[in-house]
Amino acid sequence: MATSIATKALTPKAAVTLSAILNLVGAFLSVEVAITVTNAVIRIQNPDGTPKPELMADGGHGLLLILMAGLAGAIIWNILTWLWGLPSSSSHALFGGLVGATVAAMGWGGVKWVGEGAKLDGVIGKVVLPALLSPAIAIIVAMIGTKLVFWVTRGVAEKYQESGFRWGQIGTASLLSLSHGTNDAQKTMGVITLALIASGHWTATHEVPLWVKIACAVAIASGTYIGGWRIIRTMGKGLVEISSPQGMAAESSSAAVILTSSQLGFALSTTHVCTGSILGSGLGRKGAKVRWGVAGRMGLAWLTTLPLAGLVGAVMWFIGHIIGGWLGSTTIFLLMCAAALYMRWHSKKDPIGHHNVNDEWDAEQPDADKVPVSGGVH
Amino acid sequence: MDQLFAALDASWRVLLVGVVLGAGLPTIYALGIRALAWGTGGEAEVHEAGVELKPHLLGRLIAYSLFAFVVLCVLLGIGYIVAHGLGMTITFDGIVPVFTSK
Repeated sequence: MATSIATKALTPKAAVTLSAILNLVGAFLSVEVAITVTNAVIRIQNPDGTPKPELMADGGHGLLLILMAGLAGAIIWNILTWLWGLPSSSSHALFGGLVGATVAAMGWGGVKWVGEGAKLDGVIGKVVLPALLSPAIAIIVAMIGTKLVFWVTRGVAEKYQESGFRWGQIGTASLLSLSHGTNDAQKTMGVITLALIASGHWTATHEVPLWVKIACAVAIASGTYIGGWRIIRTMGKGLVEISSPQGMAAESSSAAVILTSSQLGFALSTTHVCTGSILGSGLGRKGAKVRWGVAGRMGLAWLTTLPLAGLVGAVMWFIGHIIGGWLGSTTIFLLMCAAALYMRWHSKKDPIGHHNVNDEWDAEQPDADKVPVSGGVH
Repeated sequence: MDQLFAALDASWRVLLVGVVLGAGLPTIYALGIRALAWGTGGEAEVHEAGVELKPHLLGRLIAYSLFAFVVLCVLLGIGYIVAHGLGMTITFDGIVPVFTSK
């Protein structure tokens, strides 16, 4: 949606509202069971989705602590990068946090680093390789799309071109929001359901409780509605000065790549694909300026997300483990809330919202070291 | 190494479909815009000063059929997501998409 805001195809408010609704719908559409989501990277579940018996020994507390510490690690790292205006992948943070907490709890053997054979699996196959390849694919697709679009519409007056492509942009952005809802809400539902199984509140491994579905759908929609203005600003204005035709090419490239890869079981992060597409749309247009500095900073955030979210996850696990019992989990929770509140307070110093999300990027160059931007979605 | 090859194998498929759909559909939409500009005339096209561009009905017809095609593809995309969520899959054995249970 960021590009529709940048090209003024939609007002900022309208864009986040539309995107929130579509994310909500998308989350409900994803009834496919994602309960084995952790199986890709760590060994805390059996292949059928039930937790490993040794982790259930003390009433599931061992497993719950890993999940809790992993999530806390993911959330803390995510908000920190959003404060910097960098769209770090929440899937990577989730996997990173879980990997970190698992290593802390069970040692290096608790993590599935590399999958076996030709089936993509493990940290390398499910997280690292897709993260390297998917932005590259998106860049190529968006670049070809942008080049073709500009080639076809040469001779059309620029004003007419801009307004004509806005509709296309709204359509493709909507499709993208819908696929985001279906992809990303599933992972959360899987983790919550696993926690419920661990605590003995749920037994079925083929179903997700209805209230979990509702909670995840509402969470992803309200998160979208709040806006993540810092991210929107970086994506829409920071990387490339984007025009409607480029926006449409970028969004259709993202939607096509995300939908195709989920069909082929090629796990990827929506964040990486969208960024790749936007860069590609900049490369595809003659004379368009791509801010490689911004892109490089993002790349750095991607590379560090997995290990650093893991580190925070591991630290959280040790804190929870040393204090022990429910007091330990409560401490982790409070630490996470404290971190979130601190960063929220920090972001208020330099607020970015629907009112200034589209301001000229370069006007901020004097203090470019202090990366602008607030809060974030995916 | 197997993992790398598996990832590269998946990549070129994603790339191929991505180029066809992700770059192809915007191009068709762009053709629609091009046709619509020709069909609208007036200020829609780049032209020399003093020349009055005439509207063409044919241009508009072509444009709307191209737009309809793109919308159809997008609807199929949404249909695909929904079907996927409901544990179904779409096959294109003929031209007409068929929803089947997985």
